[in-house]
Amino acid sequence: MMSPEFYSEVGNLLMWLLTAAWLLPLLGFVIEIFGGYWSDRKSKTPAYLAVGCIGTGFLLSLVALLTWVDAADLNLWHFGDTESAAVAHHEADAAEAGHEDDHSHSHDHADHSNAHGEHGDAHHDGGHHGGHESHANDPFKTAFAGTFYRLGKYGSLDITLDWYIDGLTVAMFAMVTLIATCIHIFAIGYMSDELTERYEDHFVHTEDGGHFHRVGRFYRFFAYLSLFCFAMLGLVLAGNIFQVFIFWELVGVCSYLLIGFYVERKTASTAANKAFIMNRVGDFGFLIGLMILWTWFGVFQFAETNPETVGSTGLFQMVRTADGELETQGEGREKVVVLQAQQGIHKDGGNPHPTIPYFLLVAAGLGIFGGCIGKSAQFPLQTWLPDAMEGPTPVSALVHSATMVAAGVYLVGRFYPMFTPEVLLVIAYTGCITLFVGATIAVVATDIKKVLAYSTISQLGYMMLALGVGGWLAGLFHLITHAFFKSLMFLCSGSVIHGCHHEQEMTKMGGLAKKMPITCWTMFVGVVAISGLAIPFLGIPKLGAIAFSGYHSKDAIVAAGMTFSSLNPIHSLLFFVPLITAGITAFYMFRMWFMTFFGKPKDQHVYDHAHESPRVMTAPLLILAFFAMFCAIGGENGPLAQLILTTEPVHVAEGAMEAGHIGLNLPGHHQIHEFHASAGAVALLVAFGGTILAYLFYGLGIVDTGAMQKQFGGVHEFLREKWMFDELYEWMWVRPTLVVATWAAAFDRCVLDRFLGFLAGMVVAISSWDRRFDEAVVDRLVNAVGEATSSVGRSLRYVQTGRLRQYVMFIAVSVVMLFFVLFAYLPR
Amino acid sequence: MENVGLEMFLAVSAVLFVCGVVCMATKRNAIGVLMGVELVLNGANLNLVAFSRYGSLGLDGQVMSLFVIVLAAAEAAAALAIVLAFYNNHMTVDVDQATDLQG
Amino acid sequence: MSNPAFLLSATIFLPTLGALFLMVFDKKAEDAMRNFALVITAVTFGLTLLILQQFDRSEGGIQMAVSIPWVPTWNINYQLGVDGLSLPLVLLTGLISMLSCLASWSIKTKVRGFLMLFLILETGMMGVFLALDFFLFYVFWEVMLLPMYFLIGVWGGPRREYAAIKFFLYTLFGSVLMLIAMLMFYFNSASSEIAGNESIFDLLKLAEIAKVGGFDATMQIFAFILLFIGFAIKLPSFPVHTWLPDAHVEAPTPISMILAGVLLKMGGYGILRIAMPLCPYGTQYAAYALVALGVFSIVYGAFAAMAQTDFKRLVAYSSVSHMGYVLVGMAVWKISETGATENLNFWQLGMAGAMFQMIGHGISSAGMFFMVGVIYDRVHHRDLNKFGGLMQLMPLYSGLAVIIFFAGLGLPGLCGFIGEVFVVLSIWSYSPILAIITASAVILTAGYILWTIQRVYLGPEYKGPHKEEIVPITSRETTVAASLAVLAVLLGIFPYQLVLNLMDASIAQLTVSLSEGYAAVQETVTAVTQLSR
Repeated sequence: MMSPEFYSEVGNLLMWLLTAAWLLPLLGFVIEIFGGYWSDRKSKTPAYLAVGCIGTGFLLSLVALLTWVDAADLNLWHFGDTESAAVAHHEADAAEAGHEDDHSHSHDHADHSNAHGEHGDAHHDGGHHGGHESHANDPFKTAFAGTFYRLGKYGSLDITLDWYIDGLTVAMFAMVTLIATCIHIFAIGYMSDELTERYEDHFVHTEDGGHFHRVGRFYRFFAYLSLFCFAMLGLVLAGNIFQVFIFWELVGVCSYLLIGFYVERKTASTAANKAFIMNRVGDFGFLIGLMILWTWFGVFQFAETNPETVGSTGLFQMVRTADGELETQGEGREKVVVLQAQQGIHKDGGNPHPTIPYFLLVAAGLGIFGGCIGKSAQFPLQTWLPDAMEGPTPVSALVHSATMVAAGVYLVGRFYPMFTPEVLLVIAYTGCITLFVGATIAVVATDIKKVLAYSTISQLGYMMLALGVGGWLAGLFHLITHAFFKSLMFLCSGSVIHGCHHEQEMTKMGGLAKKMPITCWTMFVGVVAISGLAIPFLGIPKLGAIAFSGYHSKDAIVAAGMTFSSLNPIHSLLFFVPLITAGITAFYMFRMWFMTFFGKPKDQHVYDHAHESPRVMTAPLLILAFFAMFCAIGGENGPLAQLILTTEPVHVAEGAMEAGHIGLNLPGHHQIHEFHASAGAVALLVAFGGTILAYLFYGLGIVDTGAMQKQFGGVHEFLREKWMFDELYEWMWVRPTLVVATWAAAFDRCVLDRFLGFLAGMVVAISSWDRRFDEAVVDRLVNAVGEATSSVGRSLRYVQTGRLRQYVMFIAVSVVMLFFVLFAYLPR
Repeated sequence: MENVGLEMFLAVSAVLFVCGVVCMATKRNAIGVLMGVELVLNGANLNLVAFSRYGSLGLDGQVMSLFVIVLAAAEAAAALAIVLAFYNNHMTVDVDQATDLQG
Repeated sequence: MSNPAFLLSATIFLPTLGALFLMVFDKKAEDAMRNFALVITAVTFGLTLLILQQFDRSEGGIQMAVSIPWVPTWNINYQLGVDGLSLPLVLLTGLISMLSCLASWSIKTKVRGFLMLFLILETGMMGVFLALDFFLFYVFWEVMLLPMYFLIGVWGGPRREYAAIKFFLYTLFGSVLMLIAMLMFYFNSASSEIAGNESIFDLLKLAEIAKVGGFDATMQIFAFILLFIGFAIKLPSFPVHTWLPDAHVEAPTPISMILAGVLLKMGGYGILRIAMPLCPYGTQYAAYALVALGVFSIVYGAFAAMAQTDFKRLVAYSSVSHMGYVLVGMAVWKISETGATENLNFWQLGMAGAMFQMIGHGISSAGMFFMVGVIYDRVHHRDLNKFGGLMQLMPLYSGLAVIIFFAGLGLPGLCGFIGEVFVVLSIWSYSPILAIITASAVILTAGYILWTIQRVYLGPEYKGPHKEEIVPITSRETTVAASLAVLAVLLGIFPYQLVLNLMDASIAQLTVSLSEGYAAVQETVTAVTQLSR
């Protein structure tokens, strides 16, 4: 265990490095968006600024990676990719002096560290929960965590923004910043036609029939890219699941802004809306997961790793014992999971430990996975990703293939300890369906970007499947390798599109290899990588098979699937579907490559005007191609896999027999290893099959594809319509929602307001009766009195003649009369 | 003078008063009406003085009659001025012609 | 300024003085009058900041208390004070008044009358938030009502009379119910020692009586229902919300801002300040209904908003939806079978979420209404289907509008998120079913807001009339919009530092005393039922 001083020293250093790398793009965003608005549209400064920010971020991430490797005392291989190149000299001695056999070396290493964690502490606490704090840190000994600041605190409920740094974090940071830097540089060239005061958009027509014109939005593109980098890095750095949700939404909104970058295109803004709303459907699940976790655990932090603050714990430490087991009690509906902490919320009578009902833990896991379904475009929420290709190609490369859509996979990997076997099975089947659906649609797609989009969906399905069948490492390994070769291929497609003046249909391309050789051959690297091709029977010592990165990671996935299905024969689909799809993958990728770069030019106009992209665009291609080839060098024993492996949850390595309700057996490292060779061979065979088929169909053209389309017209149409998901959702969700909305508005207007109108009408009616009563009775009475008074006055008027003599007479007569009256009535 | 009693004074004042009232009631000439008023007032004065002498009022009655005399003088002055003005405007002093304020 | 009586009174009555002073201006000097009113509202806002500066965040009770006999015969006092519940709303009132005053340059007719009524309205609002005497509260409540009636009825849109009458009658109906409840408390308080065996209007003492169980269960239930209806109208909650869309649609822009930004908060504040502390038993009795009503309002408002074609009506319905969270957050009070409060911290979280939602909604909805007003001033229509392409014509305006609309959408990092998510996180422990329904609203909200943004700001061309009058946003409008947008961002990033820590102590105190108040009555109720057996 690390000493507290060392922990805080290294932790703080890492925190500062990665926080700087994280916040720099935000700073860049602010400067770009405000500076760009008030400055020259033709300036490239925003792009340089954005590249500077993310490039600096990459350097900082690299330093952080090396620091982390150093601090974790990790024995990575001393050769391989640049990420670990600098480590090489540091580690060289140990590695060379140590072991001949790399397999055993790595295994020893992993086992050693795990064993250390478990055995050492199992001794200490002797099964008593009181001592759990002392060993709770150990499974996370290579992780650093801390708090930025607080969002709210109520008693024991403390919502904060945290950071959590382990091997996965630094690897993701390096990957994201590196790819983002390349894509930023590429975008300088790709977006250069935005450097104008008057941009003509050929896809939008004004009412008078002309093309739409607007000012260029170069600066805005780079500002959005910077904002996205900030959000994505924040997601990776996040130290609690709530914070992940925050950045989850933020990457979503960046994706929204970037998909809808061409705001004047109706298709683009609709696609942006679709992406955001479908992600929100996933987030609905995410929120439910958050609510359950929050209510039953009362914390959001992943894990508390600081050796000084023992006693406070995170989710992972609460749900699993030190050796990664779920401690359950009861059966059936009564089954509960005992939490390994005193501070949970709900306590059973007599049980000193808080518990959570097992089905709620499953529900929480499914909920969180729901978020991942949305973000990673898994079945059944996959339909937004192809539409998202409306965004500029660098966006597709960065956001919709390499980073954001992989965030779902990342989260499943990160949150792995919280998932019960039931959830894992759902994840596996979701991935399985997705990878098949995606691959089949990709076979018939003709838009070059759509092919890549469906391929992304399919590959993400592979990752999910791997995670679901217990191949934790395989899934995340594929996440990183896929990020490199898929972003490479997207950039290549961007280069093609740029060279062909925004033509995306492959049916109008062909023969471009001569025109754009660099693009063609870097694309080839990507295609080979994703197809998982390798040179069979040959292997270099230490390096393993001669193959690009995709082979290693896909090999690992197929091996995990094979092991799983052999342990659980009832789920053997989880092996055969990905295996077959591996062939389909190779087929459609080579189909795309052949259709684009070889054969006869199908549209002479496009061909004549096609040109190779400028150096600012091809340089990133070469860099990414290098990483697509070599980032996974050494396979599962290579430095990248070993780096990720340090973060593996402790219970994965062992595997589990008869885990959970459903009697599932999860494969451990040893079992997977046993199947590795045979799985690799089978996968390779299938991939070659697909490649050869594609070559026959599209390279040599010996099969008439048009005729085949006719022959399988129904299937073809079904696939072209993307399995009818859009239509289905339109009828299932969109329309009913709008109908309910109309009803709600009508209810207000027709029921509530009418009721109110009725009440008002009643009041008016009552008051009109009141008025009649007033007029008929009260008023008449009062008028009568008034009338009488005035008629008396009128009659008295005649007395008032104004004649003095008459008045005197009146006086005299009255006096006399008074006199008589007095005399008559006055008593004597 | 011993046998001259209160009744005598009252009788004279009553005659004066009635003469004044009749004068006011019958004359159409404004001056005549004024003269009638003077008669009425003086009849009243006589009453006051007589009661002052024979009653228990002391000098109060005589003081009151002094007031009445002054009042009569003022009234005569004001009334004559009005009559004069009326005459100037209408070339007559007939009170029946004074109908300007009639509604 | 250290004298609280002077400071608080000045905050309340300075606008009225300003209104009186407006009468000496020349009728033609409209700009001078506007500037003068702006200065008055700015100074008032400054005074509220002064209150903030003197406020002690660790203290949960009333601070800067002022109590001067007003009508001693009936024990009515001129009683003021602030605590963590009222201070954020006082600040919000000062701010929104200032900004909407800045937005009233678009009022061209009868400027003097408008500004005078506006300033009197501010007095009424400040008074409501600062009054601690039930009678005084009632007086200020009515004072706020009348200027509002005229402001809508005179300066409003085509159907202004209908809207003004509807608003007036709804609110008056509510305040009549409040009056009845007020008298119930007045006459029931006489039997308590705390009130010195006299009838009182003092809210603090009434709350103390309620805390020790001085009001019996039946009376609390009735009083709570009366008070709740009164405040729910203002909140507004389904089904008494229909005045809101009409009032908003017809009211001029600055008044819409005030209406959404401040007036709706009076409903929530009234429940927190009066209905709940005075009837803890009644609150708990109705808690489930309250939460259910709130949840229904959230979903219903979102659906209704989605179906609107009038821009302002849509924003108004979004207010109904957002204010539902306030109701939910306040009422997630769970008790065990023995009457003890369970999950107190979750309730506090919910209440903080409700309070924050009021502040956040005050900023975002005022901003949304202002944004609608800006475009309405130019093109004189609000038909959502006849906009489009504003992003090209008015880029700065559109950018700010998108920020503010996203704040309304509840995007993290903006002010709408914290309130909503705190409420959502607190509700599962109360009722999982309602929690799931609440969470589903995130989809609907995203749906109608994004659809609106698409129809208004995106697209190639503006499709409606008066295209030639679309000019970029002026610097005055920019000031208003940018202030709101910046605040939305700041509140979203630093909720605890800026707002939540102001009210935490008060919320803790309120929840604890409510629990005690409920337990006190619950004991007697249980005793009675046991005796009758």
